[in-house]
Amino acid sequence: MKIKISSIIKTAAFLCATVACVFAASIVLRSKDSDFKYKDFFEKADQIDVLFMGSSHVINALNPAVLYEQYGITSYNMGGHGSVMQATYWELIEALQYSNPKCVVVDSYMLQKDYQYLDVMDESYSDDDRQSSISQLHLNLDCWPLDKLKIAIVKDLIQDPEIQKQFLADFYVYHNRWEELGSNDYKALFGNEDRNNLFGAEMRYGIELAPGIYPEPADKNGLGGHTVGEEYLRKIIDECQRRGIDIYVTFLTCSATTDDKRAIDSAQIICDQYGVPFVNMQEMGVVDLYTDLNDPGHMNALGSIKATECIGALIAESGDLPDHRGDAAYSDWEKGAESFRSSIYDMEVGSDSIYQQLDYLTQNDVSMILYINEGSQAFGDNQMQRLIHNFTVTPKIYHTDGPYILINDVASGQIYEASGSEMLDHVSTSLGTLHYEPVEHLFRFLYAEEDPETNFLYDDSKSDYDIQIITYDNETGEVLSHNYYKSYGSNYTKG
Amino acid sequence: MQFVSFGFLLLLPVAAIVNFIIPRKFRYIWLLVISAAFYISIDVKAAAVMAGTIVITYFAAVMIEKFSEGADKTGTGRTRLIFALAVITEVAAMLIFRSGKILGAIGISFYMLKSIGYLADVYRGDEKAEHNPLMLALFVSFFPQVISGPIERAGNMLPQFAYPVTVDFDRMRDGFLQILWGYFLKLVIADRLAIYVNSVYQAPENCPGTIVAIATVMYSFEIYCDFAGYSSIAIGVARILGIDVMKNFDSPYMAKSVAEFWRRWHISLSTWLKDYVYIPLGGNRKGTTRKYLNIIIVFVVSGIWHGSALTFLVWGLLHAIYQLIGYIAMPLRDKIVEVLKIDRNGLSHRTIKTIITFFFVNLAWIFFRAPSLEQAFVIIKKSFEFTPWIFTDKSLYNYGLSVSSFNVGMIGIILLIAMDILNFNDIEIRERIIGQSIWYRWIIMIGAILAILIFGIWGAGYNASSFIYQQF
Repeated sequence: MKIKISSIIKTAAFLCATVACVFAASIVLRSKDSDFKYKDFFEKADQIDVLFMGSSHVINALNPAVLYEQYGITSYNMGGHGSVMQATYWELIEALQYSNPKCVVVDSYMLQKDYQYLDVMDESYSDDDRQSSISQLHLNLDCWPLDKLKIAIVKDLIQDPEIQKQFLADFYVYHNRWEELGSNDYKALFGNEDRNNLFGAEMRYGIELAPGIYPEPADKNGLGGHTVGEEYLRKIIDECQRRGIDIYVTFLTCSATTDDKRAIDSAQIICDQYGVPFVNMQEMGVVDLYTDLNDPGHMNALGSIKATECIGALIAESGDLPDHRGDAAYSDWEKGAESFRSSIYDMEVGSDSIYQQLDYLTQNDVSMILYINEGSQAFGDNQMQRLIHNFTVTPKIYHTDGPYILINDVASGQIYEASGSEMLDHVSTSLGTLHYEPVEHLFRFLYAEEDPETNFLYDDSKSDYDIQIITYDNETGEVLSHNYYKSYGSNYTKG
Repeated sequence: MQFVSFGFLLLLPVAAIVNFIIPRKFRYIWLLVISAAFYISIDVKAAAVMAGTIVITYFAAVMIEKFSEGADKTGTGRTRLIFALAVITEVAAMLIFRSGKILGAIGISFYMLKSIGYLADVYRGDEKAEHNPLMLALFVSFFPQVISGPIERAGNMLPQFAYPVTVDFDRMRDGFLQILWGYFLKLVIADRLAIYVNSVYQAPENCPGTIVAIATVMYSFEIYCDFAGYSSIAIGVARILGIDVMKNFDSPYMAKSVAEFWRRWHISLSTWLKDYVYIPLGGNRKGTTRKYLNIIIVFVVSGIWHGSALTFLVWGLLHAIYQLIGYIAMPLRDKIVEVLKIDRNGLSHRTIKTIITFFFVNLAWIFFRAPSLEQAFVIIKKSFEFTPWIFTDKSLYNYGLSVSSFNVGMIGIILLIAMDILNFNDIEIRERIIGQSIWYRWIIMIGAILAILIFGIWGAGYNASSFIYQQF
């Protein structure tokens, strides 16, 4: 047995170089979803006062940028897509290793889920559901370093040892990503990868026009108190109370099924038992089912503003949490708030969908002129009429075949409407003193008396578009966008 | 525990380091312990079958030796009886247990041939019976070879177990490179091609003809990379442990005839069949007709050894027929070469012969892979339907492999062919790599490790497929 010292050194150096290269490869190859969501959490853990916990309902509904903008309270959205209550519990336990929040808001959606293992679920789920459930758990877990807690979490949530491996060593699953690498994957090598600028929240900007309405349950007994979801909600409350953290349990507005409503009743019962507040937005009327949902289950950005403001008001009422606005150390939160506000502004000025644009224009960041030509199919579209009616107090939109004009001048706080042969004259707006006059089917006047040569509502090349939306700056009156739409039943194409 | 498993990657360095440290005379005990643990980790019940085989082989060999003392080389009636009983028992056990109907015994076809070869050697007086039962147990169960060979001879292995060589740094590096190449063949090429082949062979009748033809060629490379990959890992592992194991593949698809193919493909089985079936039957010493009959018998045995399905028998017979036709047509072929004044040593002639040989081997593999004869004929018929538009309408990539993954498979095949050409021309790649400066060596080794880890077909969403030859 002969071995030289130099051979040992060379072998050790080779192993080190190999490990370094494999480690670098694993950084490039790993999915960036979890890092994207939680990178700021790790970097700002000592600044976070509130944690939002739950499923995708929370991700979309509770926006730390809004909470900061409105109340100066710092928070992080820890919600996970498809996160059932046991996953939420463990997410909280992991988060508490790194941060010391003063308040936790946990959503009770999916309280009725009564299975322990995400890779097993129950017989009502398909293999695709299981696969999806496992994939979604990666968003929750990938960011946490491997330690005893993470091993315990994986064993608690995943039954199959083979599947457990992919959570304990993510290279096991992500080495296959070589086909989909992008520039962001390589940026990760130097720690410059993209990050979520909404502190874990994700906004959706669509609009659910026809949310389902489901019957109320026959009784108020809830789920009976024995589901896995209920068990873990109790654990979450226990943990928070043990640590002296304020806790709010919520049910965030969605198109709730009868089962969801039973879960709401159960959450109420559990909260009563523990003496913690239950914020049932479903009954509070804070969020409008017809304008503030992106889809039956998730709020859109408008809904999130309302829901976050609602929660923020409750938290702020307690008076325990400091207002960090104006503190230079918290400038990133300020930037996040500005960035979010800017995204809403963009939707108001230039959304691709007329429904979306009308919905977001209710935010009043810009002023708007809406014109619908006589005979437009929009007049037979109840959802369109409802969105327009959000701006007005009159039912005019429901009783006209057009032409129809609506001017929402935010600076003056005035709303002007006209339909049929009605004219508008001497309308004082930021755009100028407007004069509106329908002339014939394809021709009408809308001009500022200061500049009568500019007819805002007539463009020969767009004469076959029956709907126009003009947005202008609240203060300067500068025209920001002029969108044309053509109606086909309740479908609208943008010109 | 399989070669493609985290457990094995942990076991190997432990086995190597302990083997390196302990005194030479005790190494065989350590290797036996590791081999037993390895096999038991796969299947405890199958370990009982192996233990039975070891006991039978040990006592049969000792008794054969005892009763043949003073007798002539071919043995007495008693030794013949003991030998026959032992061989019959082991062959019967192999046929029974490999089917898995009573009890599946992984690797049984391989270690049984080793045992039978050893008994035949003792019976013929070519080898002495091993009186140390642990040594014999190690010969039968040596973990790098136990699942899929190479089917080694006692004459090569027992002396090495008794007097292991010094494991130096060069030997370690050489073994390591061989292991890396094995994993590359298996994980990057074989298992990638398997996805495509399985997808096409699931319903070949629904696939365009050229796709089926491509899948068929891919299968030829899949089975080669799979089996040669295993062999390479096995040989590399053994080398790190101080044991030299025979080469099992030697650029088989470079062969210019089917007979040459069999001198290069699964060499340990081919030579076993030659030494223990073909030559005892008379080989080519008893006339042309008997030679042809012996060839047919050898390939029928080979077919049956590979599996009980009729497809394996047809595969074996096809190879026998190829060789018979080759021999019979030799005068005619010589005449054609002479009349056309073809340069036998010219590159073009050699290339044509290699391609034709590959074509015939490829055709036979269809029977090896197909689940039934009917399916095999469907695949052959389909393969001749010419549908070249698959290269332009992108349908080439509709069978489980994306464009990138398909291209990685093709690059892998090109690399394999390049390596085989070099090997065919007696250029030993590993020696060349080891001869390079440390930086080149490291770049090559680390590059290979990364290629295997990144491009290999393993991990979540994919169950590392067993080595194809593991089923035999």
